[in-house]
Amino acid sequence: MKCISCGAEIGLTDKVCAHCGRVITENAGYRSNMDHYRADSAGTKKKVREIIAENIPIVISAGVMILLLIAVGVVAYVKENAYSFREDAARRESVRQYGSYSAIMQDYLDAGDYTGFSAFEECHSIAEWEEPYSDLKLLVDMAEDYTSLVSAVEEAVMFGPDARRYDPEADISDCRRAIWNFYFEFECNLSDIDADPYREYIYDMKAKADTILEVYLGLDEAGRNEYFAESDIKQTAYLEEVLMHD
Amino acid sequence: MTKKVIFGISVAVNIILAIVLLALIPGAVSELHFEYVEQETIRPDSIRSYLDRENFGTVAALSRAIRGGATVAQEDEEYYRLGEYAELRFLHEVYAKAGNTDTAGQCEERISAIRDELPGYAEVLDEIDKSVADAVIK
Repeated sequence: MKCISCGAEIGLTDKVCAHCGRVITENAGYRSNMDHYRADSAGTKKKVREIIAENIPIVISAGVMILLLIAVGVVAYVKENAYSFREDAARRESVRQYGSYSAIMQDYLDAGDYTGFSAFEECHSIAEWEEPYSDLKLLVDMAEDYTSLVSAVEEAVMFGPDARRYDPEADISDCRRAIWNFYFEFECNLSDIDADPYREYIYDMKAKADTILEVYLGLDEAGRNEYFAESDIKQTAYLEEVLMHD
Repeated sequence: MTKKVIFGISVAVNIILAIVLLALIPGAVSELHFEYVEQETIRPDSIRSYLDRENFGTVAALSRAIRGGATVAQEDEEYYRLGEYAELRFLHEVYAKAGNTDTAGQCEERISAIRDELPGYAEVLDEIDKSVADAVIK
């Protein structure tokens, strides 16, 4: 606003013109209102502060509750998914150790120790379905089937003179299934095996499986052909005849 | 509902949540603890049971992880070694028959080393040898 005496710019709450010294009366009502509003505002602020002070414990408690709920949720999630976290970490480590792990696996392969290879692959969480191990996929799958065959034959044939076996018939049945599975997978994947960079090892695995059948089940090449031409029941009967003898 | 009641309830809920949190943390920490190489901690009882029952083939299959480099507790290691011995005896016959003389030779060396490492189990090792010899089709 302007001073009506000198025309200088003056503030809305000024009581005196700073330029001409005239007492300003035109804004008296405004100044009175301002004083009233300030008094009201102070009262309101005081009331607000009182309410806040009154509610601070509840607000803090609610804040703590939210933090505790988040913490419980996070810990429960971590606990529930710990296996995945461990597996992921182990897989990442297997990728970091690719050079040394590959060399060790190659040693197992060169020795023809496919059960050792399979055990190493499992123990070290090698993710054969993704880089940099993806070229091992078929080899690992076949090694797992071969290992199952070895386990099944071992369980069916190796026991002491006073052995107390839980269920010999089940062992023989498992043995037949594991043998069938390895040879079935081999036949089904033959074209992929021929195109695989590790085909020589897979063929050697098959040769070892043939030898296991010959050494422990009495199946030479002709015997194997005859055995695999038979039904499941006759295959089981053959294994029972060979393995249940005293 | 007065503010005091609300505050009391929230404190009670917080105490319960804190107890739940404290109960969950040790389990979660333990679940997260691991080594990059698989640790075999569950099977020793099974292996002992199958050894007692003279099911040497099952012992061999259950112990296989040690051949892949799995770490085992020191006090359980001898049981796994017995399984390794059984598996190597089984495979030795296969390698010998297949003409893998180098690998068969390595098997023999390891078999001999395990015999030296486990002098207290000579009788069991003999039984394993016999079980393999009996299993081979003449």
